[in-house]
Amino acid sequence: MRLLLLLWALAGPAAAFTLDEVAAIAEVMVDGDLAKRIQTPRSLAKMVTVDPRDEWAPGDNYAVDHASFLRMKKTLVRLARLCPSACDVNLWKPVPGLADRIQILVRNVNEMSQFWPWGALHQKTPPEMRRVLETGRRELVRRRPGMTSVLAPVSDSLGDVVALVEVVSQDHPDPQENVK
Amino acid sequence: MSFVVALSSGLAAEIGLLPEYVRPDPFGGVVAADAEAGVKPSAHQVLDAARGGYVSCHVVVAIPREQAGAYALEVSGPLPVDLYREWFHRLRASQAYYPDALIPVRSPYRSRLPEPDNVIPNQTAQSFWLDIWTPPDAGAGERTITVSLTAGKEVRRATITVRVLGALTPAADVVTMDHNSYGTSWLSAQYPSLAARGGLRFHLSGEFFALIHSYHRLFYEHRGVFHQLGYGHGGKVGPEFAPRLAGTGKTKRIADWTLYDQHYGPLLDGSAMAGTRRGQAPIPFVYLPINPEWPASYVWWDEPGYEREFVNVVSQMERHFREKGWTRTKFEMFFNHKKRYKAFDWDGDETRFPDDFPYFREYARLLKLAVPADSPVQFVYRADVSWQMERQFRELASAINFWVCGGGMFGWNAGYAAELRRRGHIVWTYGGTPPVESSASSITLEVLRPWILGIDGFVRWQTVQSGPDPWFHFDGGGETMVYPGDRFGLDGPLASIRLKLERNALQDLALLDSFGTRRSPETLRAEAARRYNGTLPRDWRAPRPALAETDPLEWSNASIEEAIPRDARFEKLAPGAWQRVRDYALELAREVQP
Repeated sequence: MRLLLLLWALAGPAAAFTLDEVAAIAEVMVDGDLAKRIQTPRSLAKMVTVDPRDEWAPGDNYAVDHASFLRMKKTLVRLARLCPSACDVNLWKPVPGLADRIQILVRNVNEMSQFWPWGALHQKTPPEMRRVLETGRRELVRRRPGMTSVLAPVSDSLGDVVALVEVVSQDHPDPQENVK
Repeated sequence: MSFVVALSSGLAAEIGLLPEYVRPDPFGGVVAADAEAGVKPSAHQVLDAARGGYVSCHVVVAIPREQAGAYALEVSGPLPVDLYREWFHRLRASQAYYPDALIPVRSPYRSRLPEPDNVIPNQTAQSFWLDIWTPPDAGAGERTITVSLTAGKEVRRATITVRVLGALTPAADVVTMDHNSYGTSWLSAQYPSLAARGGLRFHLSGEFFALIHSYHRLFYEHRGVFHQLGYGHGGKVGPEFAPRLAGTGKTKRIADWTLYDQHYGPLLDGSAMAGTRRGQAPIPFVYLPINPEWPASYVWWDEPGYEREFVNVVSQMERHFREKGWTRTKFEMFFNHKKRYKAFDWDGDETRFPDDFPYFREYARLLKLAVPADSPVQFVYRADVSWQMERQFRELASAINFWVCGGGMFGWNAGYAAELRRRGHIVWTYGGTPPVESSASSITLEVLRPWILGIDGFVRWQTVQSGPDPWFHFDGGGETMVYPGDRFGLDGPLASIRLKLERNALQDLALLDSFGTRRSPETLRAEAARRYNGTLPRDWRAPRPALAETDPLEWSNASIEEAIPRDARFEKLAPGAWQRVRDYALELAREVQP
């Protein structure tokens, strides 16, 4: 309850609280076991093994299991529809075999994120995400002006936090942004 | 007398002419990339011109440092001329100056040296690009264009004799040169004055759409095509690129065409090209906003709702286009997304994995459902292919009819060109744009190559990103062919020298190809290749490497690079390489009686 009140106070406009509600629902609805099946083992192997002769190899070999990706994507799109205004629900997951690295695994139509540098296959785990993965608690983030995210843990059937979702919206969405 | 000699001997102001493939520098010399041509400015040039085309040259004004000051440049003559001041870009890496952006100026042009806004220490020369237009109905014979320089009390003159030939440059090109771009967000960044005037509603304003149209018009005037992709890798569609939708599932429909028609109407009925020398014409190609997330939501993929949403909306589009009479443009269904960008599970662009092919087939099925078989509207299904192009040519033959192929790998798959042509498919290759530090003729390589290979065109993948400061800290222009005019008070793009060179090559090639009735196409190609860079047409293909027999999933960028043989004849082109092809075309043109 204390966390909820803190979020309320920090969030200001009602939209942020609503993002938190969406994140709370995502925490329950998003399947951590499914998240683990999205990237193919071959793709993961190419990602964690550096090819000194081909810096683009991880991207060129990036691949997903279609069925798992699609099930996850549909869940995230539906969750985003709960938001009162345009928002995205992104899935993030630590990269096995690469310490302190995390990758965005499923993005959505508005391409909003406070964390993703465009085009990055994986990146250093931001402290906010590390906390969510470690504590299993949602966290409100406002690191980029005009953007609000709520991070929520995603658990697997063993009860381990294996991923997280970023429910993110923008105060003033730019219709031309990310059309590229 | 060369400028260098004239200036060092302390003589007066000079005016000189350089052929288009020898770019001047701001100190009375020639840029390093074109220096091997060994050409010095001269007071007289003779240019042979087929009717219905341009001839061009550089005009160089040189004034000794001690006499630096005001001057006036005037062009006069019996043919229409366009005069442009050449901007000298300072390259960030080498600190060298190269001219490229062309600022339209009126004759007489009055300024001073050093040119105040270009801010070049010790500048002693300013160059101009001169386009001379020979109308299609011009009579054959000689015309003299005079260029006069007045500096202080001195007047210097240079003359250009234009020998108008009986031959007519065909209006249609034999190679489509396409200039690609993405979205419109860059427009506000490149046109801060215009965007500020438009305020928050700039992207909905008439000025905004006029700006977009000005890009199409500029490329059209230069015999090129301009593409703007209207959606992002996650499927977000810019409101100016698609009609507004409403509803969901079986109720999904187009609710509002206003912005789409404002954007595309003048382009698709040709009125945006009114007043150009080439005349009013619709754009030949345009991207559709179709992507996995538009018009159908990907949440319904593999469900009946996806088909319903797609077919509802695309059927409406077909009706709208038909009713408007927009039947001369090819509307491209094209998927640009990649799975590495994490929004979708398959690669629409440069597909690497064969298990993505069924998606292409499904969209072909949906398009067929949406568009009546007898529709006069030309919907085409385009795929940009690289890793798997050979397999895609075979396995997606009934789905795709417009192939845009990675240039390197197409070298060893060029044998498919005949088969694809037999199917009636369009085939382009894609690649980049030579930066300004390449020799002047480098920009013509991908004009000539498609023609030699017997395919239809080439896409320069990004042609509007001139960088954060193209004027004083230039990155070379590998991603641009035009420059924003905002700095010069113009609400539209500036052409570049490279765009002019490309245009002139396109018109030469159209002219050369028109002689296919008097020389065999094979002879024309062989002679053009020989004169261009001492090659045979077969040298323009790459031998099929052993790599091609292996699984593309095992390829890497390194192994592909190794599989494509390097040939110095293509890597370092002589500045005057294209001039030799032009000379060949003109030799044949002289045989034509007026």
